[in-house]
Amino acid sequence: MAFAWKASGLTYNKYLSVAARVVRRSLKDDKRLAAERRGESELRMAKWNNGKQGEHQNVAEANAASMAEAAGSPAS
Amino acid sequence: MNSLRIARSALRARPAAIKAPLLRRGYAEVVSDKIKLSLALPHQSVYKSQDVVQVNIPAESGEMGVLANHVPSIEQLKPGLVEVIEESGGSKQFFLSGGFAIVQPNSELSINAVEGFPLEDFSIESVRSQISEAQKIAGGSGSEQDIAEAKIELEVLESLQAVLK
Repeated sequence: MAFAWKASGLTYNKYLSVAARVVRRSLKDDKRLAAERRGESELRMAKWNNGKQGEHQNVAEANAASMAEAAGSPAS
Repeated sequence: MNSLRIARSALRARPAAIKAPLLRRGYAEVVSDKIKLSLALPHQSVYKSQDVVQVNIPAESGEMGVLANHVPSIEQLKPGLVEVIEESGGSKQFFLSGGFAIVQPNSELSINAVEGFPLEDFSIESVRSQISEAQKIAGGSGSEQDIAEAKIELEVLESLQAVLK
């Protein structure tokens, strides 16, 4: 199956999180406030190279950058 | 002569030994016409191995209805409406944000999704306003990823709008 989002470098994980985010935003106000907290993530990572710790970065931002890089290249 | 007698008695003895377990049939073996549904979200399990009559799911390969003794399969779900027809005859509708449905060989159906809510929890006004917003981004000059995200949102919102009417 060919998916349009795949061609833009998005992963299935990202696709699911975008779909879930928009579903949460479509809820009635009381339910929405409780649900929207589930979409937040505050994960940070650092890449280790030759025994040295690299820069700390936000995982969501790092993922976005790697997805932009993957755009246009055929999905593996 | 002696060996012949042994062979004959063996012949007589065997059919009884084979037939006995085949003929035995208890109540527990009667095939159920219900399917066990588990509908699980990361934060909640909506159905926990509950007997239901039928489940209609929006698979990527097309809408499908799952009854008991369905052929085992794994289906990717589109963001859409899942309808559960319960034993009492009533039906419940949930909008799921996309995930997987797994039909197991023993009449068990597991559905996994990230978000899922009953239809009455959605607000049609907020769906409409988000559609116009997403259309602006999808037609704008943002990055390829922003446009792709807006198109995913549009797909979900349009499906949501269609079922809320």
